[in-house]
Amino acid sequence: MTEASYPQCRIVPLRMLKPETAERLLNAIGKVCGIRRMLVNGPRLPATVPYGPARGAPNPHTARRIIKVGDTEVELQVQVGQIVLEVEDEGVIEEVRIVCDEFFTEIPYTLQEGIFMKTKPSLVDYAKYGPEADEAMIGLMDPGKKGGPVILQGLK
Amino acid sequence: MAYTPQYGPGTSVIAENRRKQMNPNNKLEKVRDVTDEDVVLILGHRAPGAAYPTAHPPLAEAGEPDCPIRKIVTPTEGAKAGDRVRYIQFTDSMFNAPSQPYQRTYTYCYRFRGIDPGTLSGRQIVECRERDLEGYSKFLMETEMFDSARCSVRGATVHGHSLRLAEDGMMFDMLQRCLLMGDGNVKYVKNQIGEPLDREVNVGKPMDEAWLKAHSTIFHSLVGVPYRDDQEYVEYVQRIHSLRTKYGFMPKE
Repeated sequence: MTEASYPQCRIVPLRMLKPETAERLLNAIGKVCGIRRMLVNGPRLPATVPYGPARGAPNPHTARRIIKVGDTEVELQVQVGQIVLEVEDEGVIEEVRIVCDEFFTEIPYTLQEGIFMKTKPSLVDYAKYGPEADEAMIGLMDPGKKGGPVILQGLK
Repeated sequence: MAYTPQYGPGTSVIAENRRKQMNPNNKLEKVRDVTDEDVVLILGHRAPGAAYPTAHPPLAEAGEPDCPIRKIVTPTEGAKAGDRVRYIQFTDSMFNAPSQPYQRTYTYCYRFRGIDPGTLSGRQIVECRERDLEGYSKFLMETEMFDSARCSVRGATVHGHSLRLAEDGMMFDMLQRCLLMGDGNVKYVKNQIGEPLDREVNVGKPMDEAWLKAHSTIFHSLVGVPYRDDQEYVEYVQRIHSLRTKYGFMPKE
């Protein structure tokens, strides 16, 4: 769960990113010291056709693949539309801005500051995790999904 | 004096494009070639070369009742043969796609016969007899009403019309029915409901931004012509809104 004292920011490119670009961007951001939590957001890419006459059929998609962020492998399940960061202080946001300014040379992007992660568990979180839920994990993943968040190696 | 339809208000290029598409006397520019077999593959209703399955016997053999309406209305080829009713559904990006759901329905009603269109915010479906459908689909995919990146044939899971485009300029598709290939052509690898095709179907190269902007039929304040710039269109819509609101109060005069 989000501590109000930790600032957050959101990186929104004008185009939705390919996995290769997302991988490069995440690796560039990952080198910034002071990021507490990171959320990769976008429209979902299901492994099987979710509805319609072909429901249940396999759904091969070039954007759903495993990328490597630092030394950790991350399975992308969405087309990357935005990246939400929770950082330790305002100065880290400025460092992220510098990284993004260097990275986004072809596609415009916006970096917004505000609160973008859940601030308290929802009813669905309570039903899924119960009253003893790890507050750091709330809002980082879809409560309806199996599997947890990916832990990246810290820099400190 | 004979009635001449105006098709729609507006002085902007968007309004002009809408009128061009709706006016059946205006021949739409053909911008790509899609074969009959390609259309059948994308639709996915029957195997290419297979006979048309029928829903009823041909009208010539059916012994129709003596009906004055049947004497007035000439049946379409599909209805004559007793074809099944099948569909095609389009999704059009809000980023300057050459057609839009409401626009499509107006256009189809002016240009096609024997159709049942369904209009939704992000998709537009049309049902008709199968062999008529294939002819209409070919027309819709070959002419300037279609762009291979911003329009897509999607029978199900249509999400993407209002999303940002992908890096390569393609509209988001959860099922990735079509891919932008290395040679610059867009090829369908799945049919409209997401079943893999036996072979890739080429629908040509995406048009450039200038062409899309010149052929767009949607107002967009960020990437195209803002709606408020077309004063005549705004006045027309305000007039309709005003009239129907007043009619709700049943004015005496």
